[in-house]
Amino acid sequence: MKRKKTLYLALVMLGLCLAAAALTLRDTILSVSMAGALMGSMTGIGLKQLLTLRLDSKDPAQARRKAIKDNDERNVAIRRRAKALSGDVLQWAVIAVAWASLGFDAPLWVPMAAVGIFVLKSVLEFCLTVRYQRQM
Amino acid sequence: MKNRLEELRKARGLRQEELADALEVSRQTIGSLENGRYNPSILLAFKLSRYFGLPIEEIFLYEEEPS
Repeated sequence: MKRKKTLYLALVMLGLCLAAAALTLRDTILSVSMAGALMGSMTGIGLKQLLTLRLDSKDPAQARRKAIKDNDERNVAIRRRAKALSGDVLQWAVIAVAWASLGFDAPLWVPMAAVGIFVLKSVLEFCLTVRYQRQM
Repeated sequence: MKNRLEELRKARGLRQEELADALEVSRQTIGSLENGRYNPSILLAFKLSRYFGLPIEEIFLYEEEPS
């Protein structure tokens, strides 16, 4: 609990530091929009998690219900299945983008990047399959 | 897989929420188990078996599919 709190506090601090860096190094190394996006997401996630921890400590019964819901085996199975299917759909969508980009005379790096992502995902999937086959 | 969960739960006068709370699963999981939409892991099957004090095969009815 304390470790989590420290981690989320660090996330918020990092987000604020990035905001300061974005303002100081404007138009030099960091683009303001990029740093802003990073800062926003880091600070947002950190603050949300800190708030959740605070609410959980105030209402342990609610926290227990939430933990049960998160770790429920059916919910976990549903989440994993959804992630796997969305990954597959995204992989084939990337290839569709590659084909479409060829038709639209897009720069060569577009289909190459798409094919790269497709290959990377396939390799990662293979490696994870081998790893899980050894584990189970 | 068919099961007798609903029958056993009702015989003990339990609500789905109460059974879910005792087994540390969500109420939706109990509902899905009772409807036969979801088959539990072996761990959850053992938890159910211990909770009701019955062997697993008296709760879950395995029927082999005709080949």
